[in-house]
Amino acid sequence: MAEVVEADAAGVGAKNMTDRVGLGWRPELAAGIFAHLDEIDVIEVIADDYFDSASGARAIKTLAAQRPVVLHGTSLGLASTEPPERKRLEKMAKLVEKVRPETWSEHLAFVRAGGIEIGHLAAPPRTRSTIDATAANLHRAQAIVGSLPLVENIATLIDPPASDLDEPAWLTETLSASGASLVLDLHNLYANSINFGIRPKQFLARLPPIQIHQVHISGGRWIDDGDLAHRRLLDDHLHDPPDPVYDLLADLASRCPNPLTVVLERDGEYPPMAHLLAQLNRARIALAKGRSAKAAA
Amino acid sequence: MKAPMSNPALERFLAKIYVDADARARFLAAPYDEAASAGLHEEQCRALEKIDRVGLEMAARSFRRKREQKRD
Repeated sequence: MAEVVEADAAGVGAKNMTDRVGLGWRPELAAGIFAHLDEIDVIEVIADDYFDSASGARAIKTLAAQRPVVLHGTSLGLASTEPPERKRLEKMAKLVEKVRPETWSEHLAFVRAGGIEIGHLAAPPRTRSTIDATAANLHRAQAIVGSLPLVENIATLIDPPASDLDEPAWLTETLSASGASLVLDLHNLYANSINFGIRPKQFLARLPPIQIHQVHISGGRWIDDGDLAHRRLLDDHLHDPPDPVYDLLADLASRCPNPLTVVLERDGEYPPMAHLLAQLNRARIALAKGRSAKAAA
Repeated sequence: MKAPMSNPALERFLAKIYVDADARARFLAAPYDEAASAGLHEEQCRALEKIDRVGLEMAARSFRRKREQKRD
């Protein structure tokens, strides 16, 4: 059984008591990250990229010796009424054993069903059935990997059909049923709120702050089907986080009792490193603003 | 006993219409009938009649692009 360094029962690194801001590891950013390690508190690595690469896993282990590393999965499909594939969980376990990250996480999504690969993260119907099945899948993952993953809310362009709960209720119930902690992706929250008519701050206020330990920030763009009345915000990780995401981060910091680890995710159209570091500083400022408001309250 | 609103059959049906343009077109032409012919129960078929059609097409395009990126 793999062991996550400094993890408590919820799979959360509990010893660090200060907010941290970091960046998602991408090969295109490697040189810039190594040149600025002193300005990056934590690095998030996409686990799936290293499932079948012993040399890559060794490189990530070396990186983890220099900076805290968290692993993030994308292909387990844990939010499903189908159980996750054991071979994928075993690959995650092997990588966790090798790298010994602070934490590992996965998305609250299904990515395949009945042998059909969707190719990306799909929101399951938000029902009691998927809550119970997701909780069972998370505990299967815990049994094989050795620690419970943190789980991330996903962006969706389609309001999941056959749902009888809204997203804040489904997320909260899933966290309650599983005991997992949330990687709160604030751009996903923002995009889904905009696309489906929820006020972002009201959405945030309905989530249990005690179960939020990590945060993702990223950006996106508007898309439409030729009719601007149908435009929706796509979370593409190719743009800077918009101002409301930083406002939400400050709001979260004002109500969350836990130290927060914030990761900026960028998957392409990479700007100069100085630009990314400026965004990390914006996140630090938002966190400080929220913590000041919390202290003053 | 009431059938669960979500189950593997429903997820398989959703995966199919997310990735298969022909299946999606057949579904959008006759949502209830297509869902019923896939073995989904009455409540699921009724729910799928009200599917977010704009979102379905956008999500399907987004999933297709992601699959293409992974192949590249």
